[in-house]
Amino acid sequence: MEQVTPKSSHRVDHRGLAEPDTKAPMIATVAGETAEFDAAGLTPRQINLEARRLLYTEGVTELTIHNPGAQHSIAVGLLTRCRITINGSLGYFGCGLIDGPEIHITGRVGWSVAENMMSGVVVIDKNAGSLTGAALRGGDLVVRGHAGARTGIDQKGGTIIVGGNVGSMTGFMMQRGRQIICGDAGQGLGDSMYDGQLYVGGKVAALGVDCVEAEMTDADHELIDRKFRIYRMDRPDTFRKFVCGKKLWNYDNLEPTERKLVL
Amino acid sequence: MSEVSESSGTSSGPVDLPFDPSARRLTTRQGIDTEELTGRTFPYQFERSLVDDVDLMAATPGEDLNWLEDIHMMSEDGMNAVFDRYTNAFLKIHFEVPEGREDEYARKVLIKHLQEGNSYGIWLKHKHAKFAQPELGSWLAGSATVGENYVAPTLDGWEKPIH
Repeated sequence: MEQVTPKSSHRVDHRGLAEPDTKAPMIATVAGETAEFDAAGLTPRQINLEARRLLYTEGVTELTIHNPGAQHSIAVGLLTRCRITINGSLGYFGCGLIDGPEIHITGRVGWSVAENMMSGVVVIDKNAGSLTGAALRGGDLVVRGHAGARTGIDQKGGTIIVGGNVGSMTGFMMQRGRQIICGDAGQGLGDSMYDGQLYVGGKVAALGVDCVEAEMTDADHELIDRKFRIYRMDRPDTFRKFVCGKKLWNYDNLEPTERKLVL
Repeated sequence: MSEVSESSGTSSGPVDLPFDPSARRLTTRQGIDTEELTGRTFPYQFERSLVDDVDLMAATPGEDLNWLEDIHMMSEDGMNAVFDRYTNAFLKIHFEVPEGREDEYARKVLIKHLQEGNSYGIWLKHKHAKFAQPELGSWLAGSATVGENYVAPTLDGWEKPIH
């Protein structure tokens, strides 16, 4: 059962949840490989459909989205090289599951921005909510402001750079990748991390379970200098590096062989 | 590694002819090696000169190597290999790699593998992608679109519930 809400043309199901729109609204202004559109009044699904239409079928490589209205799940699942500017703020799960885009968000973002990003660049000019870069697989995620709790939870690759502070349990269950935090880190930094590196320029409230401090190497300095140069950010004078203490490593050495036998 | 069949190559020798994409076949085999899943090997696993001209910077977003920073030369069955995250399998590298350039060649072989559409996980898009998307994602501009006509699989003997 479908119905049309009285205040708009958005179609919703009987629960008021689904948006069965399957056609892009076709409202963008296109000029060669550049396009822009105003997202005011559009649902997240319509915004994403319009973005995919432009990027996948119209040959657009530079897209600007105005007035995103802090809606959730905007610019998700984009699997092509392109540049996107989002003029405004996003709600939760913005820019998730992307593979290739370079996205600049001029406002703030909610939970789980760039969740499961495979490759690409996401730059946020202001603050980000909790779970920033959750399960990040690759690419660079830059938050010029502060980020919330559990930043980079379950991170499996890529680099998260935060210009300000991060909340508690940052790097929780991190498995690979890097985080460069210019400000302070909350309690439980790197709790239960398996691998990866956490660089902190400010104070650490408390380390999490099995997270230990390590020596900075030349490779660490090269990485930090390069990333700050690329994103034109002010670099704190010093960083401390934190890694996994490997006390919780209880891997079975036969696991890869066993896996093949089972399969 | 399990037996390789349906193949114009084997797990131990190079393939002479260029791979014909129309020969792609999804397998029901349960092994996890690239060679077993695809049923073949690829020339760039054996010939270094075939990947020398791969431009890693051009192949990745941003101003540095981006996601390739996490790609390193690894080892599988006692030989060099690179992990293809899009297939969840190792791709073995048979040619000799110059000392100190292991990661570079691991990345070049992987990008070549992806750009030529030979990653088995990407083959699955032809049958299982539910939404229109570029087949070769961010690695190759202008690649074909897949997922436009997705049809949900049906199970023999199963009937949709009334409610």
